Amino acid sequence: MRPDERELDEELRGHLALSIKERIDRGEDPKAARRAALAELGYLPAVRDSMQRVWYSRWFDAVAALALDMRVGMRSLWRARGLSAAVVVTLALGIGANAAIFSVVRGVLLRPLVNRDEDRLVYMRQSAPGIGADNMTFSVPEIEDLKARVTTLSAFGDFSTIDFTLIGMGEPRVVKAGLVSGSFFDVMGLQPVLGRLLTPADDGPSAAGAAVLTYRFWSAALGGDPAVVGRTIRLGSRTATVIGVLEPSVPYPADTEIIANIVTSPHHLDALMVTGRTHRMTELFGRLAPRASLDEARAELTAAHAAIVREHPEAYATSEGVRLDVKRLRDQIATPARAILLVLLVTAGIVFIVACSNIANLILARSVRREGELAVRAALGASRGALRRTLLAESLVLCGAGAALGVVLARPLVAVVGRFASRFSVRALDVTVDGSLLWVGTGLALAAAVLLAYVPKLPVSYGPAASGLAHGGVRITPGTNRRLKAFAMAQIACSFVLLSAAGALLATLVALQARDTGIDVRRVLAIDVPVPIEAFGPKSIAFYEEGMRRIRTLPGVEHVSAGNVVPWRDIGTFGPFSFAAEGHVLSEGEEPPHALLRIVSPGYFATLGVPLVAGRDFTDDDRGGREAVAIVSHSVAARLFPDGNALNRRVWWTDPIFGQAPRRIVGVAGDVNDQQVAPGRPTFTIYHPFRQIPAAGRIFVRTAGDPYVLVPTITRIIREIAADQPVERAATLEDVRADVLAPDRVNAFVVAGFASVALLVAVVGVAGVLAFSVSARTREFGVRLAMGSTPRELLVGVLREGAAIVLPGLAAGAAAGYVLTSTAATFLGTVQLPGLLPLLGAAAVLVGAAVLASLMPAARASRVDVLQALRTE
Amino acid sequence: MGKSPDDQRLELLQGTLDMLVLRTLKWGPQHGHGIGQAIRQHSDELLRVETGSLYPALHRLEKRGWLKSRWATSEANQRAKYYELTATGKAQLAREHDRWSQLVTAIGRIMNPAPREE
Repeated sequence: MRPDERELDEELRGHLALSIKERIDRGEDPKAARRAALAELGYLPAVRDSMQRVWYSRWFDAVAALALDMRVGMRSLWRARGLSAAVVVTLALGIGANAAIFSVVRGVLLRPLVNRDEDRLVYMRQSAPGIGADNMTFSVPEIEDLKARVTTLSAFGDFSTIDFTLIGMGEPRVVKAGLVSGSFFDVMGLQPVLGRLLTPADDGPSAAGAAVLTYRFWSAALGGDPAVVGRTIRLGSRTATVIGVLEPSVPYPADTEIIANIVTSPHHLDALMVTGRTHRMTELFGRLAPRASLDEARAELTAAHAAIVREHPEAYATSEGVRLDVKRLRDQIATPARAILLVLLVTAGIVFIVACSNIANLILARSVRREGELAVRAALGASRGALRRTLLAESLVLCGAGAALGVVLARPLVAVVGRFASRFSVRALDVTVDGSLLWVGTGLALAAAVLLAYVPKLPVSYGPAASGLAHGGVRITPGTNRRLKAFAMAQIACSFVLLSAAGALLATLVALQARDTGIDVRRVLAIDVPVPIEAFGPKSIAFYEEGMRRIRTLPGVEHVSAGNVVPWRDIGTFGPFSFAAEGHVLSEGEEPPHALLRIVSPGYFATLGVPLVAGRDFTDDDRGGREAVAIVSHSVAARLFPDGNALNRRVWWTDPIFGQAPRRIVGVAGDVNDQQVAPGRPTFTIYHPFRQIPAAGRIFVRTAGDPYVLVPTITRIIREIAADQPVERAATLEDVRADVLAPDRVNAFVVAGFASVALLVAVVGVAGVLAFSVSARTREFGVRLAMGSTPRELLVGVLREGAAIVLPGLAAGAAAGYVLTSTAATFLGTVQLPGLLPLLGAAAVLVGAAVLASLMPAARASRVDVLQALRTE
Repeated sequence: MGKSPDDQRLELLQGTLDMLVLRTLKWGPQHGHGIGQAIRQHSDELLRVETGSLYPALHRLEKRGWLKSRWATSEANQRAKYYELTATGKAQLAREHDRWSQLVTAIGRIMNPAPREE
């Protein structure tokens, strides 16, 4: 087949030898013969090359021509290093960001779950919009009712989350566990990687305790130890045997470390759980029956649910508006991340547009400068195709380099975006860089390259436009100038959209951060020291009081108290529950008030810096056997006791769990916002002394110095009293609150980051366009100065030119932003338009930056030396 | 193209080199140099093939499958690549020969028109 170079050489050498020999045979002098033969052969490499070329295809020629153009392009780009670097970096940012975000979107929204026939899995959610409960979960009677009435689901899987003190695997600690019935794993279509999973044989009150470890816990905390199967562990008061390890799968509804059978939780077996229709704590899944569609299942389930609600009016208040929603499990898991990821995708797209239009401007300006070169080449007979190919080769080199750098950049970006998105969807955690990234990068680069190659106008080989040949100078045709300005306007418009979005997010963040929480968060340490529910009693009171007494003796400790809820961190526990207040009569159709239940030790208000508005704090005498007392928040006192005297009146929970015993109000505390609920909603709170409901579990310590220094000592003190006691998650309230605001902060940060990149690029773009326009009009300015214009007038003129780019850009941006938000609203439900302040702020920033950007070229225009300018050409 | 000192020399007509090479090989396998010599001798030194055209032409014909090649030692004890006609090569030669004859006749008619009957 195709001969290699060596073979070609040998053939030609053979020819040479024969040729020389023949000449000598004819009687020529050997030296002369050799010279003549060599002369006849011609330039050897060229001959060899043309022999080789025979074997290549037509494509090879085209590619070779392009490769040559690319080599030439590289050299000419190297001469314009600064510009090339700007283009490559801008493109890399655009491509990198897009590729990274696309990877995450693909991983989170589009990738199927590992579960068997995952598109047959549905998730059911009961919610009560009337009281703002978006996930009420289900009670056991509700689940039984649904099971009995529905045929479109072949099986149900239930999952409830509970905290266990886990002993027998490392330090004693509290773990989040899932409790499931035996059908769960089969319904979810999951497999074990080790041992077995729970089956219906593990159901019932007499089964042995059995626990499955999740893959993440097993591999991360236990180092993937296969010997773990068969080990016995203690879960709270019960024991369980580890029977297997679950395959890696999306942990939903909760990221738990173990999943155990029902028997491990005494609470799940008692009558309240089994028969209490309003005692809801279970999430519900189902598998579509063969041939049943999601829509059929949804119709049947909602009808069945409506019937259940009608049959039990005592359990479903009309005002709650209880409803049932049915979704595909995959969609349910992706939902919270969908909006934010789509926003990110759009943001990255806008940045890419800004980057591309800036690059287009740079290329356009460059092509005007080389109009002379192109005109010469055209005059020498280069076809339009050849010129276009030259331009394409250059933009391919640029975009290729940009894409390569972008893909490199995308790798760390995927990790960052993935971590960010994992706050919204657990699936984002295991998003990795995949092959699609390369394709996205290549696709974007090719699109950009072709686009850029068609930006500059080719010289016309006839007529006055060939003037490039005659003059060495730069002339801008009105067309080119219009294009330059259009691209700059596009950049301004896009930047304005992004800046307004960033401004709106920042405004939200500032509002959140500035909101008065009613708690003095500085130097207050919160520590989880949990005790199992069934251990609550006089013994646990004594345990906490002894612990607090010892901590109080430590140097630097100002206040120590116990409570049941760490503000912000323990959101969603202990309420809100419905209650009634003495003398407060519900008007017709009014829903009963709901309040958060807080259990605190004396000194709690002092520790957290919450003022007591009236009455007294709890004392050690408020204990079991004495009169039941309570402290209410200011909002309760003000709203339910409008005569202004709540003290010594009574409140009681109407939820049956708490026995409905009336409690006398002994104090009124300041309002506290520890829930991040919607602003304007009063946070009703009722406090109980922990000696009367001994369900504390959190210890708060106010210190004079750095609170974290005390953590090891406090842990040691608690362990001295109870060796197996978990002591966890020590953090200052300041950090806890910062953590709660983290998603908002990261949102604002990410969008602001994108916006500043866009702003920077846009400002450079405007400055570039003006500088270019000024440098090309040096002669014009010279003439105008000579005719009597003042430098000031020229300066203002250039600034006005800048404004002529920025203002239409702003208008276009505002219009585009409006369209974008209304489109987004159809996809995402409610989307708020940014307030006036962020909009004005964004506009001000842009105008300011643009004025600064135009100042430099404007100053140059006003300083043009008349004589030199007139002589320039 | 280098100028030949030989004024007698004729330029090859475009497209005829392939045919000449194929025809030359009808006498038997030959190496590149031999082919060049044969063309020169059989044309009474009027046609001379440039090395830079001959060898690419040989490779082109081989790629099309009209020739096959093998390495052998020449009569002058020099290793050389010998080319040989293939069956399709023979068919191609016949086709080109026909076309050439037609072309010569046609051109001849134009250049030397037969006297018309008035």
